[in-house]
Amino acid sequence: MSGFLAVYRREMLSLWVTPLAWVLLFVFLLIQGLSFYSLVVHISKVAEQSLDSGPVQAYFGQSIFLIISLLLVCPALTMRVFAEERRSGTIESLLTAPVTAAGVVAGKYLAAFTTYVLIWAPTLLYILILRNTGQVDWAVVGSSYIGVAGVGAGYLAVGTLMSSLTRSQLMALVLTVLVQFGLFILGIGEYIFDPGPLHELSTHVSVLSQMDELSKGIVDLRRLIYDATLVILPLFLTMRVVDSWRFD
Amino acid sequence: MRHCRMIEVEHLTKDYGTVVAVRDVSFSVGRGEVVGFLGPNGAGKSTTLRIISGFLGMTAGRVRIDGKDILEQSLEARRSIGYMPEAAPLYTEMRVGEYLRFRAALKRVPRRERAKAVDRAMRLARVTDMVDTLILHLSKGYRQRVGLADALVSSPPLLILDEPTAGLDPNQIREVRKVVRELGESHTILLSTHILSEVETTCDRALVIDRGRLIAEGTIEELRAMRRADSARLVLRDPERRAVPLLEVVEGVFKAHANAPGPDGLVQVELTFRPEIAQPGDVLESALSVLVGAGIGVREATPTKPTLEEVFAALTRGEAAPAEAAEAKA
Repeated sequence: MSGFLAVYRREMLSLWVTPLAWVLLFVFLLIQGLSFYSLVVHISKVAEQSLDSGPVQAYFGQSIFLIISLLLVCPALTMRVFAEERRSGTIESLLTAPVTAAGVVAGKYLAAFTTYVLIWAPTLLYILILRNTGQVDWAVVGSSYIGVAGVGAGYLAVGTLMSSLTRSQLMALVLTVLVQFGLFILGIGEYIFDPGPLHELSTHVSVLSQMDELSKGIVDLRRLIYDATLVILPLFLTMRVVDSWRFD
Repeated sequence: MRHCRMIEVEHLTKDYGTVVAVRDVSFSVGRGEVVGFLGPNGAGKSTTLRIISGFLGMTAGRVRIDGKDILEQSLEARRSIGYMPEAAPLYTEMRVGEYLRFRAALKRVPRRERAKAVDRAMRLARVTDMVDTLILHLSKGYRQRVGLADALVSSPPLLILDEPTAGLDPNQIREVRKVVRELGESHTILLSTHILSEVETTCDRALVIDRGRLIAEGTIEELRAMRRADSARLVLRDPERRAVPLLEVVEGVFKAHANAPGPDGLVQVELTFRPEIAQPGDVLESALSVLVGAGIGVREATPTKPTLEEVFAALTRGEAAPAEAAEAKA
């Protein structure tokens, strides 16, 4: 893991001194704010409510805006990590320093993940606002954020891998969106396919069901293992790709 | 105990699939040497330096840095190297000081010594006045020197500089060469260039590479001696044009060629020595005494040593040495 801390700190600096993170933060919070506002307004008009359909559940579990904004934010956070280094040639200085592929990949990935968490952080205010007017089930809030972190972690790992496969940031972005969108569509298959192996698969990868379950406080280990797979496999492949540049 | 050389390259080959960039190159660089790696563009210089610095893998052969194999003990070997890639690519969104502190951390300079190491590197590469400037706003010359400061920041014993003066204006080139010469007093340096005068002014020794092969190796003097096609340019007062037949029979003279005399009776003569002659000066001396003995006025006599450019052009054309050409004609 040689080089991890230095790479992590540089990535954080470079993400936040350039406009990218701030633009993403702005767009993300705008979409989330509108989504949350309309949900609260909508739910406050509904007289009868079941226990598991408060605004928190609706916001994390039923809103398509959440998924859409992740489809945008995650690829944008990771598109430059390797593509830009290879386009500009800085990869040469980076890899001739005494660093390991694991250190570089982990540093870059965790910086993107930290930024992702920071972009989500202001949404905690929504929960605090709700608490002023009603009761908040903190366990549900906790499991919802676990879901958000899990989905994002996987998307960011896919994005990191895609960025290592091309010298073009745009291509990295497009490839990542394609993979994410593919998985998302496959997840929708849950509502389309007849019961059988294909239906099982769709249910397993469905982001919508994952968020739905977690927003109701159901923490299913299989979901988390799926998310972990979607982190570890792409990152492992990225390390192999970085090592393979030696033999271009 | 065997005292190992700083760089040992053995039978290095790099095959890009369709192109063989480096073919069976072997050389070594001793401690404290400043060696120029010379070749036209596309000769395989950058590829070789990238392999030596651990960025690229080789198809065959091995590279040892300070006794450590670049593949098997890669981290240890890389710690001994300060590498400046071609065109010194930098993160343009960082400030100079920020960037060098990052590079120092990456190269595992202990935390407490980092500030001092960065100051020292900036002083040596003369970029101290730009410490808070965004790299984006730096000129090419300054970027090149920030790249140099980066190579220096961990105080490595070996510096590998890929075309350190490429793309700079003459003042910047002079400045960078001066810095390299100063650094050569305390470091082993391997630098690549396609400019011969650069090797003449900064290096002790040169390696000449062309189309992936090492075609010559030696000190600057040795390289010059490789083309002992030495000749001399004479300016004579010789209105009757007697000089050429006289000169052609002097031992050691291969050819004499005279221009038409000018209105003032002065003739320019190009005198070519036989290539096997070890001391062209002796031949010139006897040629001049013959001319003076015959009553021909000698106004000028300039021995022309081939420039490195000529040596280089001849070596890279792969043409036969003039010695052989001469024999073939004779």
